[in-house]
Amino acid sequence: MFAYAVRRVTATVPVLILATFFVYVLVSVANDPLARLATCTACDEAAYERIVQLYDLDQPIPVRFVGWIGDAMQGDLGISTSLGEREVTPILLERAWNTALLAVPAFVLIAITAVILSVFSAVRQYTLGDYLITGGSFLGIAMPTFFFGLLLQVAFGVWWQDWTGTKPFYVTGMHLESFGDYLSSAGLPIFTLALVIVATESRFGRASMLEVINADYIRMARSKGLSEGRVITGHALRNALIPIVTLWALDFSALLGGSVITETIFAWPGLGQLLLNALTAQDLDLVMAIVVFIAVVTIGFNLIADLLYGVLDPRVRYD
Amino acid sequence: MTDVRSDSLVGGDGLLQPSAVQEARGFGRQVWDRFVHHRVAMAAVVVLVLLIASFWVAPLLSPFEFDELTPDLRQAPSWAHPFGTDEIGRDLLVRTFIGGGFSIRIAVLVSIVATLIGTLLGALAGYFGGWVDAVISQVVNLVLVIPALAILLVLALRWGSGPWALAMILAALLWVRIGRVVRGLFISHREADFVEAARAAGARSSRIMLRHILPNAVGPIVVEMTLLVGTAIILESTVSFLGLGVQFPIPTLGNLINEAKGAIDTVPSRILFPGGVAVLITLCVNFIGDGLRDALDPAGGHA
Repeated sequence: MFAYAVRRVTATVPVLILATFFVYVLVSVANDPLARLATCTACDEAAYERIVQLYDLDQPIPVRFVGWIGDAMQGDLGISTSLGEREVTPILLERAWNTALLAVPAFVLIAITAVILSVFSAVRQYTLGDYLITGGSFLGIAMPTFFFGLLLQVAFGVWWQDWTGTKPFYVTGMHLESFGDYLSSAGLPIFTLALVIVATESRFGRASMLEVINADYIRMARSKGLSEGRVITGHALRNALIPIVTLWALDFSALLGGSVITETIFAWPGLGQLLLNALTAQDLDLVMAIVVFIAVVTIGFNLIADLLYGVLDPRVRYD
Repeated sequence: MTDVRSDSLVGGDGLLQPSAVQEARGFGRQVWDRFVHHRVAMAAVVVLVLLIASFWVAPLLSPFEFDELTPDLRQAPSWAHPFGTDEIGRDLLVRTFIGGGFSIRIAVLVSIVATLIGTLLGALAGYFGGWVDAVISQVVNLVLVIPALAILLVLALRWGSGPWALAMILAALLWVRIGRVVRGLFISHREADFVEAARAAGARSSRIMLRHILPNAVGPIVVEMTLLVGTAIILESTVSFLGLGVQFPIPTLGNLINEAKGAIDTVPSRILFPGGVAVLITLCVNFIGDGLRDALDPAGGHA
């Protein structure tokens, strides 16, 4: 398995380099900083020269890319133009931490809720509860994230306050003064992140549970007299979880990469919001750093998902 | 009448396999029968047809134009303006319906273009294998690794201010899923006996792909294409919501919600109309897609 992991990692390196090159060219072509500088009438000649030198703007894009990736390999991700010429690396780490403040609790909430819902609706297939859960997950999948976020803001920021006069949640912003502050400012974005993923995971989990629940070894477990609870948690769920765990790895990586929508709506200073700001400010080094971070996290968790599959299911062979 | 519709829905005679012909009813007919008896999917079809018809009819009946300025600014819903008005006094009912029309047309266009690209590249990769497959699969991996929204935003920022440009950009990102599905189908069929027979009879590769393998792949392609409409509605409204998609004065569901967000303190109910329409369309499309999948594959087996 170790050899497999090494092979997988080496195979992803060219994809990663190609992907970064692609994004680099795309961002560089989509906005040409020289053209913007040329229209700047207030800039003097010396400042112009300094900026051209600083960012190698007199070089062709592929040459700039080679320079960039050389620096990036040594941990220097460049300098942000939009955030006061600060180094990108510490900004990235700070924002990744903020994103994790949402991603980790959201993931725990998602994992627990999705498993409970899928076990319930598989065990009680075709009952009212199952129909409600299945219908709810269809609704959750069809709900655009930004719309759900706004609904929560309307519900808790406007209506709830009108009716009760209290405000259980902060509607925007990150407040970390106390743990209670953190909970009430992170609450709504966490729910927003969780909704769509819980909906897809519980649908997937229901199908996975149903497949297992009719297997012979479940009938065997029942016929040897195990309690229904033991049959479900000890035998059925253990096997149904194998494909779900893979899904967890992928969803968790998506959460750690930051959500542009959720973080924008709730003014949460994470990676997603940073990416949107960097893109609109045409801050190339910052965009590249975030994109590479997201790509590495995605590839890494894909690998973890593959390896976990083998650990959980000994029938899977790597060669 | 029903025959004509069943043909157009599942690709018609092309779906008839040698084994299916011997049965009393053709495969296409069986699929149609199963689909019609799928109550949720049929309800979704009815709702979607009514909704699309209203996108077309409501603006004709409305006393207001979608870009007409009235003296009533920022109004809550009333009899004169059932959905209220926006900051510069435009009637939101007619804007919501026109916007829904734009959104659904963009989504359908995205779905068609993405399906064409995905089917073509997937078919080439699956049928020929070797270096063709390697190149196309690398491209697919590339698109999957890069955060889609980032690319979408870069492109939309630069070129995506018109509805059709935005549709092309979305299609350029969304073909990947169909591409993988079609590639898998072509790999599983390329060694089949009927392909072997066609090859022995001297058919060219293009003919084998188009006339022999593609008809066997039409079912899953139609399902994916339907579900893609829902994905496109959500993505289009997301990009427009961020203010990077379709621009003033053309309304779409996304930029209507974006505008409504500005009035969230004064008229919070305003976001419900365009948002509700977006959810309703996506819900219907997903139900139809699921119904089609069940009808094509009654044994189930999908996750």
